[in-house]
Amino acid sequence: MDLSLSEEQTLFQNSVQKFIADNYDLSTRRTLCASDEGFSRENWKQFAELGWLAIPFSEEDGGFGGSPADTMILMEEFGKGLVVEPYLATVVMVGTALARAGTPEQKAEILGGIIEGNILATFAYAEEQAHHELHNVVTSAGKDGDVYLINGTKSIVLNAQSADKILVSTRTNGNDRDTDGITLFLVDGDAEGISRQDYPTVDGLRASEVTFKDVRVSPENILGEPDHGYEMVEKISDHAILALSAEAVGAMEVLYTDTIAYTKQREQFGHPLSDFQVLKHRMTEMFMEHSLSKSLCMKATMLECQGSDEAKRAIHALKVLIGKSSRFVSQNAVQLHGGMGMTEELAIAHYFKRLAIIDSQFGNVDHHLTKFVDI
Amino acid sequence: MDTEFSQEDLEFQKEVQDFIEENLPKGGDMWSGRSNWFQALKEKGGWDVPKWPVEFGGPGFTPTQRYIFDLEMANHNTPMVLPFGISMLAPILMNYGSKEQQERFLPGIRDHSVNWCQGYSEPGAGSDLASLTTKAVLSEDAKDYIVNGQKTWTTLAQMAQWMFCLTRTSSDGPKQEGITFLLFKMDTPGVEVKPIVTLGGSQTVNDVYLTDVKVPVENRVGEEGKGWTYAKGLLTHERTGLAGIMNSVLALESAKENARSVKVADGTLMDVPAFKNKVGELEVELMALEFTELRTLASVSAGGSPGQESSILKLKGTEIQQRISQLNLEASGIFAAPWGRVNPGPRFSRGAMNGYLSGRANTIYGGASEVQKDVISKNVLEL
Ligand SMILES: Cc1cc2nc3c(=O)[nH]c(=O)nc-3n(C[C@H](O)[C@H](O)[C@H](O)COP(=O)(O)OP(=O)(O)OC[C@H]3O[C@@H](n4cnc5c(N)ncnc54)[C@H](O)[C@@H]3O)c2cc1C
Repeated sequence: MDLSLSEEQTLFQNSVQKFIADNYDLSTRRTLCASDEGFSRENWKQFAELGWLAIPFSEEDGGFGGSPADTMILMEEFGKGLVVEPYLATVVMVGTALARAGTPEQKAEILGGIIEGNILATFAYAEEQAHHELHNVVTSAGKDGDVYLINGTKSIVLNAQSADKILVSTRTNGNDRDTDGITLFLVDGDAEGISRQDYPTVDGLRASEVTFKDVRVSPENILGEPDHGYEMVEKISDHAILALSAEAVGAMEVLYTDTIAYTKQREQFGHPLSDFQVLKHRMTEMFMEHSLSKSLCMKATMLECQGSDEAKRAIHALKVLIGKSSRFVSQNAVQLHGGMGMTEELAIAHYFKRLAIIDSQFGNVDHHLTKFVDI
Repeated sequence: MDTEFSQEDLEFQKEVQDFIEENLPKGGDMWSGRSNWFQALKEKGGWDVPKWPVEFGGPGFTPTQRYIFDLEMANHNTPMVLPFGISMLAPILMNYGSKEQQERFLPGIRDHSVNWCQGYSEPGAGSDLASLTTKAVLSEDAKDYIVNGQKTWTTLAQMAQWMFCLTRTSSDGPKQEGITFLLFKMDTPGVEVKPIVTLGGSQTVNDVYLTDVKVPVENRVGEEGKGWTYAKGLLTHERTGLAGIMNSVLALESAKENARSVKVADGTLMDVPAFKNKVGELEVELMALEFTELRTLASVSAGGSPGQESSILKLKGTEIQQRISQLNLEASGIFAAPWGRVNPGPRFSRGAMNGYLSGRANTIYGGASEVQKDVISKNVLEL
């Protein structure tokens, strides 16, 4: 067994670290968040040039033949840097779905564009009545002659404002909560009948409510098999969870190390705060939570890479632990910074908010714990 | 042991309820009706200042009446009053201020015409408040103090006309000595307020820079160098008030309500065992905390001191507040995220995120939890 990174992976990790060190201080991030699209197209171009948009895809598809392990390396660094570019939406969610189930035409048209950095995409799956349940789909796609008409509203669609392509889960058969009868469509972001309500999210990213009103799509735009889209939805969710968890691990690392650094230099009662035993123990616990999260993140990622039957259960476990650990680490990072932890000026606040949202994406602690104990 | 209120107390409770029924501004009137409400409270016999002693116009409630009064007020969501003047400064003025100061400041505090802010914390003096360094030096003619330094985290300084402020007048001897309690107007030349943006994006706390601020000697409360003793008494006041137990009981009810409005599978979030159990645990702990407050009350009613239990009210109370805010956040699900002017998803979700973020401060201000535990272990457990 060898859990260390390969030489290639280490080089890759270094290059991501260097990019973030050079481009991603907090004030630059602030400017990006406040910009029109909420991220930098310039950075995106660089991601393409550095090959990061090609990582998880096979060489046949024009990629680098990487695996979820490589995505993990990238996302962990993105988590440390609080990167705002739409990597999760475009590459992890839509890109990997296309790689799995896309027709040659779909791949040629869209996946190629994603890899080159010319196409941004997002996955519209969440609905208000669904809470965290992915198969609770009301948005419908009804047949109208040769085409389908999509009707309904999808919530918290990441980066929809910038998306050239929207992958959307729809109900084509069965009842609201059936796993059968779900179909995935690839729709143009500016297709007629789509309207959006765009907003910033509390963690500095962008999302939208996307409403579909008689949006016409042809059967060629179905991704995978009609009525059998749910398996793909789950797969996307699994990959998103792995990526988000790696991001959370990176964020937690910054939080606990920043807290150590802060308590060493902040003096009260004539001592650095780091002298007080209760705080030493607390920081030790933060470190423990981070380490355990990282372990489970690696385990789940490796099982997924191996295509193991146990991957599913490990991914549920991972999302549970990430949620709990993130909460502990982020809350204590604020607590140990005292009033300073409450300020927008310090990075702490921004990691805190990002972690709070990661827990809400693709199912929170309770959701995954309930599934985990039933497997 | 008797957990029932006496007949008189029950009658008092009814009286408070009737009063609220009759006078509380309804719905949309809440803001404009505020001053009428406070006027009515005042005319009722000092109910606008329930904690003030009779000689200063308070109602002279017994401890049990105070408890009942607070309970009913919280229960009916009556208009809030900022604590700085009425709960924090007023007791100090009553105990240590001169007659002139009492006559000069208490009326403005009472009728809310003057807002106060609390200038204690400094960049270098948070938990270790006694190490504060903002300097006050007596002018040559001994008429004024000249104050220089920086206060921080000053809540609502931008809305305050006056600050009560701890300053250092001497560095000899232990740091608790040599602290002097001063009052000054926020529009005095040399006072500069700069907002600090906090986690929830709100601007309620501020840095306050003090440069050669001239404070007349008659604005000193009590003796020079004794400010620490005065302020310490006030901090205890602050801490018991911060437990907000009744508010938590109500907040938990509303969290349950929120959860019931969230559909999950064929039921609601309140049917999900993992969630429901968390609600249950909180209810259990709140029940115990409520009764702990009653024990405190009983011992004060019997003429004793609040008892050792009172020290845990703030610690446990704030922890519970934070956990309730977490329930609301979880109930918001994916709708925790939106942060623009729009509020898609359940209506409570925006407030939920706000509450979660700003609530992190509850275990920091008014004595950070770790430091509170230090104090309890030392003073109560004698460790
Ligand atoms: C929202 C908000 C409003 C506020 N409003 C006001 C106001 O109106 N007026 C005012 O004067 N102040 C106000 N404060 C300041 C508040 O009182 C201080 O933040 C508080 O006293 C803690 O001080 P600090 O922030 O400097 O943290 P620090 O004292 O630096 O503490 C940082 C961490 O170290 C821990 N710690 C410190 N000492 C020890 C020890 N000996 N052993 C173990 N752990 C320790 C603390 O528990 C905390 O977790 C406000 C603060 C906030 C957040």
